[in-house]
Amino acid sequence: MKIRTVKLLVKEGASNVVKNKLMTFASITTIVITLFFLGIILLLAVNITSNIEVMKRDLKITVFLNIDVSPFQREEVITFIDGRKEAGIVSEYVYISKEQMFEDMKQILSNDALMKGLTPENMAESFEIKLTDPVYSEEFIQQLSALSGVNKDNGIGYGKEELDKLEAILKVFNYIVMAVLAVLMVVSVFLISNTIRLTVFARRRQIEIMKYVGALDSFIRWPFIVEGLLIGFIGAVLSFLITSQAYSWLQHVLNIVLTNFSLAPLNVLEFGPVALRIFVIYAIFGVIIGGIGSFLSVRKHLNV
Amino acid sequence: MIKFVDATKVYSNGVVGLRNVTVKIDKGEFVFIIGPSGSGKSTFLKLIMHEEVPTEGEVYVNGYSVHDMPQSEVPYLRRSLGVVFQDFRLLPNKTAYDNVAFAMQIVEATNREIRRQVPLALGLVGLSKKAKAYPNQLSGGEQQRVVLARALVNNPAVLIADEPTGNLDPKTSWEIMNLLEEINQRGTTVIVATHEKSIVDAMKKRVITLEHGEIKSDEQKGSYFNED
Repeated sequence: MKIRTVKLLVKEGASNVVKNKLMTFASITTIVITLFFLGIILLLAVNITSNIEVMKRDLKITVFLNIDVSPFQREEVITFIDGRKEAGIVSEYVYISKEQMFEDMKQILSNDALMKGLTPENMAESFEIKLTDPVYSEEFIQQLSALSGVNKDNGIGYGKEELDKLEAILKVFNYIVMAVLAVLMVVSVFLISNTIRLTVFARRRQIEIMKYVGALDSFIRWPFIVEGLLIGFIGAVLSFLITSQAYSWLQHVLNIVLTNFSLAPLNVLEFGPVALRIFVIYAIFGVIIGGIGSFLSVRKHLNV
Repeated sequence: MIKFVDATKVYSNGVVGLRNVTVKIDKGEFVFIIGPSGSGKSTFLKLIMHEEVPTEGEVYVNGYSVHDMPQSEVPYLRRSLGVVFQDFRLLPNKTAYDNVAFAMQIVEATNREIRRQVPLALGLVGLSKKAKAYPNQLSGGEQQRVVLARALVNNPAVLIADEPTGNLDPKTSWEIMNLLEEINQRGTTVIVATHEKSIVDAMKKRVITLEHGEIKSDEQKGSYFNED
């Protein structure tokens, strides 16, 4: 194909975008909607992943010492934890003394009758330990429970509640993702096939005429494909703008909600850092949807 | 040159379009194809254009074997033909000039050739002044002139016209016919399928009459059969 023909076909496709306003509008709308749904899923996934990371890093191991622990036994536990910290397995830990535990209990139970007869002496000392990576937890807990000062009957708490919470969230998220994906697929397939059908109908005669005048298939096809690619790209840009606005608003609202329900450090990510990734994905998907859509719509009518 | 050898076309629904037609049209001829509706006129032209292929027999057009040619060569066959339809078939989103230019862009003519040839073709059909008009801004006769210009601009060996005056008033019809004759005199083979008795009788050209898909008569300087 000669260069002036390529230029001509690209120009032809571009001018079709402008001239067939209704079809262009319908196609762009379809792509904007489809990509918007895709974006919601992507952003949801990015947020869930990052928040799971946050939660994992936040998981605490709680270990209680025996009530009658000796200073030597306590020292042994501290030495062990300090050693792990130096080895880079423990990121930080807090020691909670009998007195502090008593104060905490008093706060929780306040004037309750249960507090009667309780003294700091009845309390167990404990450590709250954060690991640098949850993968160390099993070995760490095993080694810790081998120490004589550690209360084995109560067991070593490994942020079990948090884990349960996390798993519940994950489960719900999976359902949401599946539901949204299903909706996305149905919607986009429906809308795109409809738009293509309309486009084909509108262009059937045009394709036919080109065939009668002796145009090669490629000559007929390329302006349509250029048109599809352009529409896809325009749709991607528009959808990106809408997504970024909607997301920024949602992020603002959700972060207020999360803070009010004291669910920090969970948070909704800023749009900025993921913007480029989202845009590239939108552009690729938009261009592919537009190109394939046009290609299919012409192919059906090339055999005149 | 166009040659049908015992060509038969049976459509998939069983309708016989053409039955055992053998005919030869030489370069430079002017031929009317006449006959009542359903007599096979359209099928005859469709076979020439490879819009349909014969179920039996052979059809040769400008050196192409229509009955046995790869799909990829069909565009080249069509470029050797100029085609005029009853319903014009112009691209609605292009001006008269661009519609004619389009036929040249398809064959990858240079811009210089296009700028020289398109005004010539529009001038030949007397439409120079309407070059910038869109099809919906032109009368039926004017649209048909654009179609003629488009059909001519690549200097095809054969011009095919299917009821070219079917949608036009008598005066305009005659103008189109005179144009066709002029084109024929410049060496182009012209094949016209038509119902227009008065025109056929007046022009005294070769007339091939079809009936039920068969050739009923084929005469030089023929006239429309009186069907009453």
